[in-house]
This record gives sequence, structure tokens and C-alpha cells, in this order.
Amino acid sequence: MSVADLPAPPAVLHARSVGFTPPARASERRIGLLFAGTGIGLIAGMGVLGLIMRLTQATVIGLSPAWFYRVLTLHGVGMITGALLAMMGALWYVLNPTVPLRPGRMLVTYWLTAAGAAAVLVATLVGGFGASWTFLPPLPFYPAGQWPVWSESVFFAGNLLVGTGFCVFCVDVLEQTTTRYGGLTGALGWRFLLGRDPEAPPPHVIAATVVAIDGLIASAVGTTIVTGLLGRTYDHSVGIDALVAKNFVYFFGHSMANLAIYLGAGVVYVIMPRYAGRPYRTSKALVAGWAGSLIFIVTGYSHHLYMDFVQPSWAQVISEATSYGALIPVAVITIYSMTMLVWGSRYRWTLASSLFYAGLGGWAIGGVGAVIDSLIPFNFRLHNTVWVVAHFHTYELLSVVVWILAFFAHVIERDAGRTSSRAARAWIVGLIVVGGYGFTGTWFVAGALGIPRRYAIQPAGTSGYSLVGASFALLLALGFLVYFVQIGSLARTAWSRRHFVLVDHTDGWTGGHYDARIARAEIDPAVAERPAQPRSGLPLSTPVQFGFAVAACVVGLAAFVPQIVDAAEVSNRYHHLDHAGHFFFGAMLGLLLGSLPRISRRLGDRPELGLATVLLAPAAMMLLMVPRIYEPLEADPFQHALFHLAMAGFGFATGLGATRLGLVTGRVMFILAIGMPLMFAAALK
Amino acid sequence: MNLHYGDPQIAIGATFAVLAALLAAAFVVIALQAGTEASEERVHQVGYWVRERWLALLLVIGMVVVGISFFDLPYATGGTAGRTVVKVTGGQFFWALQPDRVPAGTHVRFDVSSVDVNHGFGLYDPHGHLIGSVQAMPGYHNELDLTLQGAGVYRIRCFEFCGLHHSTMDGTFTVTAGR
Repeated sequence: MSVADLPAPPAVLHARSVGFTPPARASERRIGLLFAGTGIGLIAGMGVLGLIMRLTQATVIGLSPAWFYRVLTLHGVGMITGALLAMMGALWYVLNPTVPLRPGRMLVTYWLTAAGAAAVLVATLVGGFGASWTFLPPLPFYPAGQWPVWSESVFFAGNLLVGTGFCVFCVDVLEQTTTRYGGLTGALGWRFLLGRDPEAPPPHVIAATVVAIDGLIASAVGTTIVTGLLGRTYDHSVGIDALVAKNFVYFFGHSMANLAIYLGAGVVYVIMPRYAGRPYRTSKALVAGWAGSLIFIVTGYSHHLYMDFVQPSWAQVISEATSYGALIPVAVITIYSMTMLVWGSRYRWTLASSLFYAGLGGWAIGGVGAVIDSLIPFNFRLHNTVWVVAHFHTYELLSVVVWILAFFAHVIERDAGRTSSRAARAWIVGLIVVGGYGFTGTWFVAGALGIPRRYAIQPAGTSGYSLVGASFALLLALGFLVYFVQIGSLARTAWSRRHFVLVDHTDGWTGGHYDARIARAEIDPAVAERPAQPRSGLPLSTPVQFGFAVAACVVGLAAFVPQIVDAAEVSNRYHHLDHAGHFFFGAMLGLLLGSLPRISRRLGDRPELGLATVLLAPAAMMLLMVPRIYEPLEADPFQHALFHLAMAGFGFATGLGATRLGLVTGRVMFILAIGMPLMFAAALK
Repeated sequence: MNLHYGDPQIAIGATFAVLAALLAAAFVVIALQAGTEASEERVHQVGYWVRERWLALLLVIGMVVVGISFFDLPYATGGTAGRTVVKVTGGQFFWALQPDRVPAGTHVRFDVSSVDVNHGFGLYDPHGHLIGSVQAMPGYHNELDLTLQGAGVYRIRCFEFCGLHHSTMDGTFTVTAGR
């Protein structure tokens, strides 16, 4: 029996969802529940910390400023990590039946992310690191006596691990979607848009591909700046360009936080139709919308720099236009289409479907607050007030987190074959909506008053806002508590039914529907029927491409010319730029040789080794780009030359590794890798 | 000095409240309609018709609002002729202004920088209304032009997280009556 042919369990889904809803298989359920469960645990813990901070601001409890900022830092990183982790699992759950992914890589993602979260926990609570999740350089190196150097290193290492974990996920998604749908333009639906493909990929595949590309770009930028800062903990002579570093930090942080919601959109495209009984199909408008989002997700960060007046004005103007532009695909495609899907559908209201629907509202309302803040004249009056906290909590908490709860409930309810009582659902949704919007609404009001964000001690006479906010937060927490109780009850039912799944069966005589049991063993072996995953070509294949690579190698050789090496000694920035040239030469050479069919055959299919290389080699190269390491070598010309060759060697390994990742992913990883040392040179001087 | 709502902020807050209420109402109506039965064809027919207009509306609003906003950018332009330059320096955890007072009606150019980490120069008028903010960055000078009409003591607060005493890092700037 083909998995795709299996009917869906009607007990918790819309009866019409039969036919386009395959039963959840063991691997999808396990990974979905592992990631979402861990994410929810992390989010719940961070939520408690958030409540403690709000009560401190309300002067109900007396957390010291030192502890307040440690907790603030942990809360920020922990929440984003938890949300990303859970959403990655949720996307895996919906994507895997369409595009088989590698469970092994997903586990690598899990452990890297978990290790990163643990490192941040140690850095903040044990080490006392409290430079906030934005850690705007050079603040981490001005601790005001609050944290030791080791905590800086551990914090940066934690961020690096989380970013790398997400990167591994994105590589797998990109590799599989582009292989399955005939390249990047196929997976993004552009060939369908241009009329070259009769059929488009499903909406969640397009969403996943966009998230993967933007996630890889964000991870590359994040790896660069965090690696640079990690080196700075070892060598305090390294200078930091505050403006460039701020651009990079926000690019990384904003994009990672933002991508969680776009991951959620992919999940919603698949799961909400199951309750509406109407499949959601790709349209040309959807493809065009996501093409816009591909750009807007990565340009969105720049509105964090509106009040950095030295940022070029043209960049500010483009930033404002694209920040507004980001609204269009979200409002016109995702949110609007989902409400269309629901309209007149006899929507099946369950705990999961209610929360999915409520989460749409969180994105819409939070998005309006964000768009208002993204207009520069308004931002002048709202920048870094708690208005900002209000709008991102509205869509992160009342959309992303609510969707995560919805996803978890979806899996459990399907296993249990039942939903919670109507009264319980009403209490859960009611408490989350009233508590949540009251909680964030207080911040909107306080932001309009001009209360700055990240204040352990509130301005005189304003702690009442925090008290009201904390009271609503308690209602919200109560809603989560009722949710957990209901999930516990559903999970017990699911456990009792763990050996079989309920599926819809249509009686041949009467035409009536009833639940039939199918042993899990009949479904789960299908996981093993993973289609072969042929490598999708090599990054270079045509004579023109090889010719270009040879020319690029020749250009890269210039970085070794003694006059250029000497000229680059004028500053750390130029010196690093020269090292970037060595790396570029090596990477180009590696890509060229690894793409030669004869050598490629000898190297064999080693995607995991290739991935490890493209992740580690650029990071290792940048970690060595610390004056305290390379300056002692410069006295001896031989050692100096060896160091430059080592830079090229890291590049060579990167280029070779990229060829093991196929045409699209290999090229993407290669381009990002050669960009990283350049960004490094720009930010650290 | 207690904080008070400024007129622009009240307008912004009210606009948001109205839009949020409209959206919430729309979600409630759609949720109520979700329980009814309508053919998919009919939903598509009407839904896509509305969607085209929804897209057009958002594009028009965007072009008008974003376009107008470009005429009210806070970024300083031109030279310092006719302006009094006030050097603003932020540091953990202080503000230093030179000069620290000007007569009412002076066209001021705040030249804002930092000696250590990123700070935010947030300025409140004597009535506790937030006028606006600009970042103070090490190695860079952000220039903000303002004409301060009202005499009194203006309060400065830090608007970028800068460490342990961020929330108590404040300063003052005085505008005297008459020249």
C-alpha cells in the first residue's frame, strides 16, 4: 500500500481531507514531536523568565539589574532557538512525505542546536554574560565587571552551534527540494510561473526552499560575525567596525527570528487544509509572492538601523520600501489565502485547528504593528521603545508559539483519534487570546508613551504598565497550563492506541464513513522505501563554467603576489582581505578540480563529508584570522607563506566539499563560503 | 519628570488600535463563516475578486504612505551654517553634551557619538514627550537636526542596550528662554 494512497483519520480531520492527507508515519511523528516537544519546553522555560522580568519591572519582585540582563539575554536567545527548533521539526513533518529528507542530518541539527542552547545557558546563568541576544559589538567586550572572557567565548560558541544546526537543516531541505523538482527554479516554482513546467511544486515545498536559501545566507552572515567576535575574545587588539558589525548581527538575529514564522507558513499550508477539507494548491500568485519573500526576508533586518544615521540614506529608503513590501506576500497570499480556505468550509474545529487559526491573527495584527514601526518618521518616535517589544511578541508569541502548540496538538490528536472538549478548547484559546493580546497590548500603549526597552528599572511612574502586562501574562500562562493538561490527557489516549492508526473507511454498500484500524507496521515500513536520491549534478559542468573557474583562479593568485601581500599589511582589514583572496583562490581551485568528472568519480558520493567540510573549513579559516595568531609568523617569510597557503588550503577543502553537495546546494554553499572572509574583513579591522 | 503621550505617538497608537480592531473583527467574522458550507468554486470566484482589490489597496496605501514618509526623514542634511552644533558623547553610563544649553528657537545639530559601546540618544521635551532618538556609535557620528522651541530642561535617556546601568543612564539638556 502506497503511503500517499492511504486515507486520513476522520476523527480529528475534515472528512474531505481524505485523499490528500497521508497518515503520519513513525519517523515524521518522532522527529516532529522531538523537535516541537523540546522547543515547547524551551519556550515554556523562557516564558517563565519573561514573566520574572516583567514582575521585576513592576517592582513586584526584586531581580537585580545584573541578573535581569543575564535573564534577558538567555530569554532572547532561548526563545528564538526554541521557536526555530520546534518549527524545523514541524516543517520536517509536513515536508518529508513530499520530499524525503535525511533523519540523520535532522538529528545532527537537533544536537547542535541543543548544545548551542546549553552553552548559552551556561554563559548567561553561570558566566553572567548579559549583553542581550543582540550582543551589539563591541558591548560583549565591555562587561562593566559583570562577566569574564570565558563566558563571552561560550556565548558565541553557543550561537555558532545554533546557527550551524539550522544551516544543516537548510542544506538538507535545499538539496532535496532542488533535486526532486529539477533545480532551484523548479523548486521555487519559477519555471511554473514562466509556463515551462506544467505542474508546480506544492506550496510548502516553495516555502521550505525559500526558507532554506535565506536561512543559509543568514547562517553564513551569523557564522562570520560570531566567529570574528570569538576571535576577538582571544585577541583584544582586533578592532570592530560598529556599523558593519551591527548590520551583520541584525542580519543574523532578525532573519533567524523571522524565519521561524516563514517555516510556520509552510506548516500551515499543509495542516490547515486538513481541517478545511480543501487542498491548498500552488498558484502563480503564490510563486510570485514567495519570490518577493525570498528578497524581503533578508532585507528586513535593515530597519533595525534606521536610527543609525550614518547608514547610507539610499539603504534606509530601500529598507523602508522593502519592509513595507514584506507585508504584501504575507497579507495577500498566506494570511488571505488561509482565510479563504476556511471560509464556508465547515472547518473542523479541534484544539489544533483552533490554534492554527488564532495564530494567523497574531501574524496579521503583529505585522501591522511592525509595518507602522517600519516607517522611518514613526520609527524615529518608536525606535527601541517597548512598541518594538510589543509587535514582535505579538507575532512571535501569538503566531509562532501558538502555531507550535497547534502543531504539537495536531500530531497528538491524530494519534489519539480525538480532540479535547469544546469547553477546554474555548478556555485555552480564550486565555491565550485575552492574556496574550493584553500582555502585548500593554507594551503597545507603553511604547506610545515613550518607555525605552530593556530597562531593568522602569522610568518613574510607569511600573504600573508592567504590572498590568504581568497580570495578562499570568492569564496567558494559565492558558498554556490548561493546554498542557489537555495534551497530557490526549497523549494518554494516543499511547493506548500506539499500535495502530485510525483511518477513514468508506463502506462499499452504504457509502457511510467509519474509523478503521490499520496496524502501524503496515504504514511505517514505507519509511524505508526512500526513493534514491541521485546527486543533482556538479557545480561546474560546461566548458564555459570551467573556463570561468580557471580565470577566477588566475585572479585569485594575485593575493599571493609579494607586492600585494606587503601593501595589505597597512591594516588588519586589508590584511584580512588578502587572506580572503587566498581562500578564494583555494576554493575556486577545489571547486574546479572536484567538478571534473574523473576526479569527482574518484571522490565518490560523500555528501556528509562535503557538508562537514563546507561548514568547518571557512569557520576554521576565520578563527585563525586573529593577529595574535598570524603576526608572530610574519617575521619568518617561510612561515608567513605557509600561513597563506593554509588559508588557500581551507579554501580548497571548502571548494572540494561543495562539489559533493550537488549543483544547487554546492553552488550556494560555495558562494556563501567565499563571501564569509570578505564580510569578516569588513566587520573586523 | 513623568512621561506623557506625545501627539504623534497618540496618532500612531490610535491608527494601530483601529487597524488591529478591524483585523480582529474580520477574523471573528471569518471564524463564524467557517462553520457554514459554501462551494469551493464560489469561494474562489468571490475570494480572488476580493484578493485583487486587496492587493491593489495595499499597494496604493504603501505607495502613498511610504512616499509621504520620505519627505519627513529625520536625517540631517546640508552643512552646519545657521545651526548650533551640540557634541553629544555617550559612554558607560553617562551623557556629555557640549554645549549643554542653548536659547529657545535655536536650530541645533546634535553630533552624536560614543566612546565605548552603542548607546541611543533619546530626547524628551520638558513635558515628558519623547521627541525621538538617534544611535550613538563608537567610531561614527550621527547627526540629528532639531529646532527646540520650548524652554526648559530636556531629558536624555539611553535608547540602546549598553550594559548594567542602561536603564539609569540619563542626562539633561537645557533650553533657556530667549537669546
